[in-house]
Amino acid sequence: MTSHADHELDQLLAVWAQTHRLADADAEQIRQTIVPEDLALPATWWSDFNSRVSEVIARATAMPTPAIAAWT
Amino acid sequence: MTTSRDDAAVFTRVFDRHRHAVYAYFLGRVSDPELARDLVQEAFLRVWRRLSEVGPLPDGQQRAWVFTVARNLTIDSYRTGAARQAAEDALRHEATTREATVAGPHAQVELGERLARLEAVIGQLPEDQRVVLSMTTAGGMTSRQIGEALGEPAGTVRYRLSRARKQLAGALDLEEDGA
Repeated sequence: MTSHADHELDQLLAVWAQTHRLADADAEQIRQTIVPEDLALPATWWSDFNSRVSEVIARATAMPTPAIAAWT
Repeated sequence: MTTSRDDAAVFTRVFDRHRHAVYAYFLGRVSDPELARDLVQEAFLRVWRRLSEVGPLPDGQQRAWVFTVARNLTIDSYRTGAARQAAEDALRHEATTREATVAGPHAQVELGERLARLEAVIGQLPEDQRVVLSMTTAGGMTSRQIGEALGEPAGTVRYRLSRARKQLAGALDLEEDGA
């Protein structure tokens, strides 16, 4: 092949390659299909968690109603 | 599988590093963009499932891992007949496209005709030549990288590429034009 023919073929192949690449939009769609989107914790996760833990502790340490009745 | 934002970041790095090459490989094998896209998704789904194993690998080994999956998927796909049917459909479509001429400025028409001809000739190349051509041009890979990915010597890859280019040049009359 002459260098001119080589160059011309390279140019044609470059144009061909542009139309035969995985488009960014397609790639992102594939990525999103594979990776679950809800990996990030919600902004209120820690405060919700702390509230729930506090409630459990409060319930667990509260004096039962019969005990209160007996006490009074 | 327990997932985290770190896993997602590792996966995205692996995906971005290899997606063009893997797509180019599948396109070379099946000659059908839609099927190639589906196969890319399936290949990277397997990467995701084995991320703890694949993520830490060095670049070359990671590429080899991903392409082992890709080769197996193509074999599975051929077994089900989907890839072969797609390749045959694509070749039929290309033969029709080749005859159609788009109206417009002379240079554009000429380029369009040459690209249609190129597409048709690429579709008629032996599969092993079409794959390395696609991985080089659309995947942006070197002969060494393709060799690593396909488990073949880089010299074999260069030979196939040279044969493919020669066939393309001959079919497009580039030898005569350039002389």
